[in-house]
Amino acid sequence: MKQNNLIKLIFLIPFILILTGCWDLKGLDRQVFVIGIGLDVSDEKGKIDITYLIANPEVGTSFAGGGTEEDTVMTVTMRSPDFLSLRHSVNAAVAREISYDLLKVIVVSEELAKDEEFIRFLYSAEKDREIKRNTYLIVTKEKAAEFLSKNDPKFLTRPHKFYENMIQRGIEVGFIPNSELHHFFRVTEEDANLFLATYATTNIRQKEDEYRINEMDALAGDVRIEGETNSANFLGAAVFLEGMMIGTLTGVENRIVMLLHDASSITDILAPIPDPFHEDYELTVRIRKQHNTSVEMNVHDMPPKIHVTLPLTVDVLTDPSMENPVDNKKKVEKLRSTMEEFMETKIMALVEKSQKEFKAEPFGWSLYARKEFKTLKDYMEFDWMRTYPEMKIDVDVEIRFGQFGRQPKTPSYKGIRD
Amino acid sequence: MKQNEGKIGIRDYMAIILLTLGSKVSDDTPTLLYKTAKNSAWISMLGIALLSLIPILFLLKVFSVHRNKNLHEINLHLFGKVMGNLISMGVLLLGFSSFVLDTSVYVDIIGSMYFTRTPTLALYILMLVVCGYGAKRGIESIGSAAWLTLFYLKATLFLALIFAFTKGNLKFIFPLWGPGTLEIAKTTGSKLSIFADFYFLGIIAPLVSSFKEFRKGTLWAFAIVVVEITAALIIFVILFDFTSIEVISYPFHETILYLSIGFLSNVESMFLPFWLVAAFIRFSFYLYLVVTLFGGIFKIKEFEYLVPVFIVIVLFLGIMPKNLTYTLPYLREMILGILSPLFFILPILMWGMAKLRGDFKREAEQSH
Amino acid sequence: MFKVLKKLAGKKRNKRPVGSEDTLASQASTKDQSISYQIEDNIKQVKKIFHYPDNKDIKLRECKIGASEKRVAIFFISTITDVRTIEDSAIGPILKNKHPDATIKEMIATQNITHLSTMRDVVQNMNTGNAVIFIEGETSAYAFECANFQGRSVEKAENEVVIKGPKEAFTEKVVVNLSLIRKRIKNEDLMAETVTISTRSKNEVFILYIRNLANEKLVDNIKNRLKNLDVDAIQNLSLLEQYIEERPFSMFPSVLYSERPDRATSFLEDGHIILLMDNSPDSLILPATFWSFFHTSDDHYLRFIFGNFARFIRAGAMFITIFISAIFIAVTTYHSEMIPADLLLAIAGSREKVPFPVFFEILLMEIAFELIREAGLRVPNPMGPTIGIVGALILGQAAVEANIISPIVIIVVALSGLTSFTISDVSLNFALRIIRFIFIFSAGLFGIFGMTSFFVMGIFYLTSLKSFGVPFLAPMSPHYVASGDTIFRRVLKNENLRPGYLKPKDMKKKSDEAVK
Repeated sequence: MKQNNLIKLIFLIPFILILTGCWDLKGLDRQVFVIGIGLDVSDEKGKIDITYLIANPEVGTSFAGGGTEEDTVMTVTMRSPDFLSLRHSVNAAVAREISYDLLKVIVVSEELAKDEEFIRFLYSAEKDREIKRNTYLIVTKEKAAEFLSKNDPKFLTRPHKFYENMIQRGIEVGFIPNSELHHFFRVTEEDANLFLATYATTNIRQKEDEYRINEMDALAGDVRIEGETNSANFLGAAVFLEGMMIGTLTGVENRIVMLLHDASSITDILAPIPDPFHEDYELTVRIRKQHNTSVEMNVHDMPPKIHVTLPLTVDVLTDPSMENPVDNKKKVEKLRSTMEEFMETKIMALVEKSQKEFKAEPFGWSLYARKEFKTLKDYMEFDWMRTYPEMKIDVDVEIRFGQFGRQPKTPSYKGIRD
Repeated sequence: MKQNEGKIGIRDYMAIILLTLGSKVSDDTPTLLYKTAKNSAWISMLGIALLSLIPILFLLKVFSVHRNKNLHEINLHLFGKVMGNLISMGVLLLGFSSFVLDTSVYVDIIGSMYFTRTPTLALYILMLVVCGYGAKRGIESIGSAAWLTLFYLKATLFLALIFAFTKGNLKFIFPLWGPGTLEIAKTTGSKLSIFADFYFLGIIAPLVSSFKEFRKGTLWAFAIVVVEITAALIIFVILFDFTSIEVISYPFHETILYLSIGFLSNVESMFLPFWLVAAFIRFSFYLYLVVTLFGGIFKIKEFEYLVPVFIVIVLFLGIMPKNLTYTLPYLREMILGILSPLFFILPILMWGMAKLRGDFKREAEQSH
Repeated sequence: MFKVLKKLAGKKRNKRPVGSEDTLASQASTKDQSISYQIEDNIKQVKKIFHYPDNKDIKLRECKIGASEKRVAIFFISTITDVRTIEDSAIGPILKNKHPDATIKEMIATQNITHLSTMRDVVQNMNTGNAVIFIEGETSAYAFECANFQGRSVEKAENEVVIKGPKEAFTEKVVVNLSLIRKRIKNEDLMAETVTISTRSKNEVFILYIRNLANEKLVDNIKNRLKNLDVDAIQNLSLLEQYIEERPFSMFPSVLYSERPDRATSFLEDGHIILLMDNSPDSLILPATFWSFFHTSDDHYLRFIFGNFARFIRAGAMFITIFISAIFIAVTTYHSEMIPADLLLAIAGSREKVPFPVFFEILLMEIAFELIREAGLRVPNPMGPTIGIVGALILGQAAVEANIISPIVIIVVALSGLTSFTISDVSLNFALRIIRFIFIFSAGLFGIFGMTSFFVMGIFYLTSLKSFGVPFLAPMSPHYVASGDTIFRRVLKNENLRPGYLKPKDMKKKSDEAVK
């Protein structure tokens, strides 16, 4: 009995110790939530200018006890060696503790991304527990600080919603790549591929002669969009090799990459394609992938050969020349061959660009090469990145037609004009 | 009412094994495998499983003729008083030190991944108090608790792995043979002790309601655990690829940090309690084993009263190594290195001794 | 330090109350007499024992037998007897007697008449409502049954309400209760044994079991436990429950308490043992498992799917009532990253003007809720609903408008309070409410880590609990052969086994052919 009491007491002592606890306690009202972090080059070596985009929790809530007329967001920029120590230094200007719980995007200016030092700064993100690996990386044409403060989304008053929706929709339609930090680290460490990051800007060209002609074959900021809408564009991709930005891809190029890459989550693409029956017009087609790209590879030849087959289902949704290709087998064949040819040339142009300009590939083909080797050592010796620019690559697009719009037939143009 | 007192059924027994061994996927065991076997860690895991089968079968053979004796009593019987006690002491020492190391790994995980500002001491105390309470309640209680929670724990683990699988890319497991067959074989040899727990399970062998259930439970649980760990090893690789997986210290936690399920973008705190429950039950069981063995060697009947003493010792030993993340993997590897050959040799030795003493023959005669 | 404490404790225990006198012994000694030949002595003796005429409801009727002219004295306690019966069946026939040789048994027209030889028997019979007759020149007395204790009639069950199925409940009269059970089990093997459990008030307990089903060891164990009680008085089953349970400090009840005869009957038929008592509109069912507290009789009266849906809702409610407040604290103060972004901002926004930390806020509201509940229980009936409205609406609304409490906390606390009502068993209900507070504290101290620690300790505790030798969580763990009625029930046809943990004499409830 006596022993029993003693044991009970020993069990109790720790609880008394623990009562002094609550070390990790953080009141929600004692924190502010960072939605985005912007990184910019500073003049000092070893330091960068970091901008916080902080959301105001009171905006958008309607509770009894009175609402507020405060701003939705605020931005703070400070110079710091990394974004860990900044969490405290920024408290000189911000009243509450900085929390990364709602962190959605890390925005990097093109200038910094092209810097060799960039990777050093970004890797500190992997150390901080609160920065999640599913944060998106965005590269901006202008300074990140400028982008964050100039961006003023319409309708979506809560900033995290804007970034979330904008990026998700962009990935779905293929205008921007899925640029989670997770992929960035993985690709950078694997050291064989290009990493694509979302490209965005608020710096939209105003002069008429600076627009690009084909709307989507452009980068953010180059597209003509009129009306009062969001001041930011998300279009195209920044290309990273070994953690350093080396170039850009346009929206269309990015779509091609996503079509070819098996791991991308692209659902379907609506795109205009030149009408084979009338050179003035363009057909709108919906492109879907039937199944995974098949990649055949012969790595033991010199130079190695890659044969890629891209199986696509195409729905032709418009028929501006009013030629009714559905009825006519010949017309369908013509449609198919021109379309395949059109796509193949587009793809081959991009492949060539990657071989010549980037000297690495964003299509994830190195994964197929892995299968050809027995051990990691063999694969390393093969050195995918060095071999890639010399490879012989050909791409085959196989189109199967799906629907031809809701109503397949249109009356002939001549018939109406009669 | 008392005829079943102190015994556990096959469900409870299997649940204990599945929790104690199954939760190895969520500590640093995968990291130890990835370190040398890289993306082929799962192959080395299969190798380990195959190789572990030998000592496990030998052990079962030995236990089949000594159904009412626990590990220590069999040691005494087979090796004589002096040698038997020495061997049991050695086993106790190794078991105890791996218990200390395992708990400090877990505390390190909690401290570095979830409660960054809470002192390690507080986390350690709370954890040990819970485990001590469990150990004091006895094997029946631990078994019941394991069985009651097993389904939920495994379901959440399964869920996490499934989501990770959908996010991963299956091509990352190539090249199939990773760092080469030699490296894989080396890993297999040196990390054999992952299944050394099966040796320690001998301590509770007579507490399982019948030997038949003991054998059946051991083999089934072994098979399930092997599948589970192998699947997890594959899934971590296809999520992180071989380059990143090497630098990640706790792949399971990195995985749940990365996952997002539906409208919940950060789910790690949802998996945390389930993982913790598994950890608590696991360490309660380990503590129970250590204390039972200690009680057996030093002939202390009411060994439950030793629990608080052990807790205090573990606490002091566990927080002693400064710089946890730095020294822990090293110590862990050392213990695993010692345990591996022992785990392989001891059961065979036991079987050999039993054979020499003619225990098997006697059994055969009795059954005729 | 211990020794000092021990000494102090020991000293206190040794102190005896001053002027204690064993009145019970002296009371007993007066009764230890045989019945005298002289009727005068007997009358005097009974008068002395019962303090006649100070004790107002003790009645004595003296008269002479019509033919033989022998003196007769009839004693009874008028408040617990049926006076008409005494008049019609005893006094009347005695007075009108015509045959001088007729014995008393031939004269009195009641269903039975017993022969008493000691004063102790006389006293006991009178106390249980019987009338006792002394006759001149006889050394024995006679008692005949005419007890009529006052009580309610059979009414509707109030605490364990069902939608479908019988509505009647036990009353305070044990005879009625027994009859309610006998109505359901028409079997001679249903045993109703009695044990007197208190020395002064002589309270009797009925032990009910089915002889060829219930485990004998279990029955003996319970009988022994009841016989070994050495108390002056145990008024009713609620008090008895506390005398016979094994762990008085345990959070969880180990004896099931039910006011429904149908429920008690179904437990009897599974091999459980039921205790009934006068003055208790309920029954004690033992041994009890966790599941029996969680179940209601409705679960089986409703069809398979509906019953299980109710179970599912109840299980969810149990989870919510224990955890939601704690989870809210843990998540908002320790693990804010797991809240969806919009909700996080909403909570953070609403908290900006609130003066208290979340932990304190929740605690405040939970205590307020418990206050409303306790007050609502104690106020006189007509005011009950008013309290509810004042409490819930005015208090909550006003607290939010005054920026004392954030509105989300009101939702959380209301939910945790509301869901606690789904558990109809009083004991389990209390247990859950207290456990909720412990979880709130552990969440406030260590977030999810603290909650999990406490949860695991709770699981360990639950698995080591036993009620009369039956593990508390049986048959789920440790596993027993049983009908599989734990969280969810099975189709009625398939529930064909009695629970194995009771070790019943006959495991099978129904044969397979019966259901085809």
